[in-house]
Amino acid sequence: MSETTPEAEPRKLAEEARDRVRFEEEALALADQVYRVARRLVSTREEAEDLMQETYARAFRSWQSYQPGTNLRAWLLRILTNLNIDRGRRVQRSPDLQPLEEGDYFLYNKLEENGETDEDRVDRRLSQDDAVAALSEVPHDFRDVLVLVDIGDFSYADAAQILDIPIGTVMSRLHRGRRILKRELADRAVGSNV
Amino acid sequence: MALGFEPDPCEKCEEMLQPYLDRELSDAERAEAEKHLDTCSYCRKRYRFEAELRRFVRQAAVEEMTPDLKAKLAALRTPL
Repeated sequence: MSETTPEAEPRKLAEEARDRVRFEEEALALADQVYRVARRLVSTREEAEDLMQETYARAFRSWQSYQPGTNLRAWLLRILTNLNIDRGRRVQRSPDLQPLEEGDYFLYNKLEENGETDEDRVDRRLSQDDAVAALSEVPHDFRDVLVLVDIGDFSYADAAQILDIPIGTVMSRLHRGRRILKRELADRAVGSNV
Repeated sequence: MALGFEPDPCEKCEEMLQPYLDRELSDAERAEAEKHLDTCSYCRKRYRFEAELRRFVRQAAVEEMTPDLKAKLAALRTPL
């Protein structure tokens, strides 16, 4: 049992305050990266901003449940994705069960069929708006994983932990999400006629 | 062209495309993919395209947060 002295309590409070300040500073330093993911998980900027404020308010309240030394960005995104689901912001759609027979080379092959494919210059065939619109067409369950891995640069294991799903589910959703994204991009590609 | 029950190496390479770019392959699988890519321009072009496509989508999807939101988040900190 630890010995309690009259000086111990203020010291403990001071240490806790210091740890809390450090946590808040580290969490705020990651806000830009967290926002980039949040923005593509929801439809509008306003939704993303609300979600960020709710996430940070909750993170600052429950900072002591964060284990120092673990991935703080993943911890923040776990709060954010849970809030996004809990608050019913997502308009749930039934899973996209259309058959997707195309392989991973599908988009390249389609573009090649319809003219020159310059593998180094995707932007000749697609605009920024095409990419954003195509991404928004990917159903939520698939998009969550796609955004975490492709925009958030999380590993499969981190994405599994954030979304609380098995790693095999991350892989299968990612696989399907990317194929849906490519089909959407193919529909928008300049001169593709696919 | 693959014969008999030997898997088509380009088909196998296509299957490894996504985990390769995600850096999720084992060292042995990665070496196998790279060995094939060194000799196959068909797959090499498609890998380069995929890497470029991902970079393009990632950049296109980036929207920075506003200074106003940054200030709102900072204001949520516990007062000292």
